[in-house]
Amino acid sequence: MKTAQEMKANSVALIDGHPWLIQKAEFTKSGRNSAIVKMKLKNLINGSKTETVYKADDKMEPVILDRKEVTLSYINGEDYVFMDPEYNSYELRAEDLESVLPFIEEGMSDICEAVFFDGKVISVDLPTTIVRQITYTENSARGDTSGKVMKPAKLRNGTEVKVADFCEIDDWIEIDTRDGSYKNRTQAPTA
Amino acid sequence: MMSKRWDIFCCVVDNYGDIGVTWRLARQLAAEHDQAVRLWVDEPAAFLRLCPTADASLSSQRIDGVEVCHWSQDFPQVEVADVVIEAFACNLPASYIEAMAVGERKPLWLNLEYLSAEAWVAGCHVLPSPQAGGLQKFFFFPGFTEGTGGLLRERDLLTRRRAFQAVPNARRDFLAQIGVTPADDARLISLFAYENAALADWLDALAVDTRPTLLLVPHGRIEGDLCRWLGVADTEPGSRWQRGNLQVQLLPFLSQHDYDRLLWSCDFNAVRGEDSFVRAQWAGRPLLWHIYQQEEGAHWDKLDAFLDLYCAGLSPQAADAQKSLWHAWNGQGDMGAAWVQAQAHIEEHSRYAGDWCDEQVLRPDLASALVRFSGKWLSCAT
Repeated sequence: MKTAQEMKANSVALIDGHPWLIQKAEFTKSGRNSAIVKMKLKNLINGSKTETVYKADDKMEPVILDRKEVTLSYINGEDYVFMDPEYNSYELRAEDLESVLPFIEEGMSDICEAVFFDGKVISVDLPTTIVRQITYTENSARGDTSGKVMKPAKLRNGTEVKVADFCEIDDWIEIDTRDGSYKNRTQAPTA
Repeated sequence: MMSKRWDIFCCVVDNYGDIGVTWRLARQLAAEHDQAVRLWVDEPAAFLRLCPTADASLSSQRIDGVEVCHWSQDFPQVEVADVVIEAFACNLPASYIEAMAVGERKPLWLNLEYLSAEAWVAGCHVLPSPQAGGLQKFFFFPGFTEGTGGLLRERDLLTRRRAFQAVPNARRDFLAQIGVTPADDARLISLFAYENAALADWLDALAVDTRPTLLLVPHGRIEGDLCRWLGVADTEPGSRWQRGNLQVQLLPFLSQHDYDRLLWSCDFNAVRGEDSFVRAQWAGRPLLWHIYQQEEGAHWDKLDAFLDLYCAGLSPQAADAQKSLWHAWNGQGDMGAAWVQAQAHIEEHSRYAGDWCDEQVLRPDLASALVRFSGKWLSCAT
């Protein structure tokens, strides 16, 4: 058993006998040092979706899932096609990728993990740290070099993230995919 | 709505907030909504402070239309209620959960959460939390905005408060009952807080203020800081001290009814936690909130969320003064300077406290919201 707080996005929990994919999990402190986890769930048997909330220390039964390394092959509208090293392709809808969708972009080379339940691909996990390029951000207004002052910036797929004030257009940055936070400025990834 | 059976579970963690809220809710459900309510309390001694007429040795007793039961380690086999409330995320007895699961008709299980003005609350209010055994649990959040469960407020509270505040004799007579005889020109301030290092700066400012102040302090955790500032070893209810233009008087621990009347009597109220915080808002007087401190400073988000909401209707200058004062009282800033700054806006703060109360009273109260939600759910479940 795991606590609700330990159950991350793209894991599956057995709730009252049914397997539910956790598409999104948001941890929040409620009051007097207690906390809650708001979850978006998808029933893997009938496809129904629901939003739920649990106490952070509620016990949940995790389902052990098969995983396989994949990379993004191409995007076709709402369809995202990934490929494993044996050239098997796995197609997912945008709605299946909810938690990682903001960081998926055409041409990305990240080694991802396809997640399987009952032999069927149900989602994809990104690495914890990814490198992305800033396509637009305002010029530094304050000349801050400490990295503490943040400003909004757009990535190639339109996702907006908060970055350090000294970052500029075309800079490459590292992002933590668990919470979408900026980590630091970095070099362009080598092909 | 037809009468339903309610079990409210309250685990007293510290202070009197949990039991204060659940006792208030239980009484209101019974008195105003004709519900059959059992209140399970794990610390009868804490309940005794709020309700001195109770007998802490009894495992069950009927008070104000509520069956108040001792929630002991060895939980008795009881019939499961129609609506079960775990207050403030307390853990229900395992045997009770088992009984809920095996019953032919599943009860509605609610986790009544803490009060917060944060934006995420409306997004979590009445969300399901499916449990094993086919049990349906929902999270119920009190709050200040549309899409939340509202605030605890008795049906006649504002009528009683306005009637009290409209009659000068009512205030004078009540204060005399609790041993307080203020000078005609004295500003009355009530003080209910946790231990607070900012107290000394505030009292220094009050002592040198041109306006005389009578500070009324019900028995509580702030007394240690008060003794240090006064330079006295200990305090007794009824004791008085004069320092410059500030007179301090200690009061005994007051019943909820008397504490309401104290809030209505004062020009300014310093309150803490959740229950007194809400009651001070219903008093329609300016207030100062000492928030319950949380790990990793999580309480600052809650404090600022409320301030943003509350101050939205104030002028920018009055809002800044209010925020500075509350921040200083909670440990960020100079309390003496913040108090002086706030006094420049006291008329606006006083007027606005009434407006805020009038705005909040337009929303459904928490007990009514719980009754409505449970009524709908139970009618669908049958």
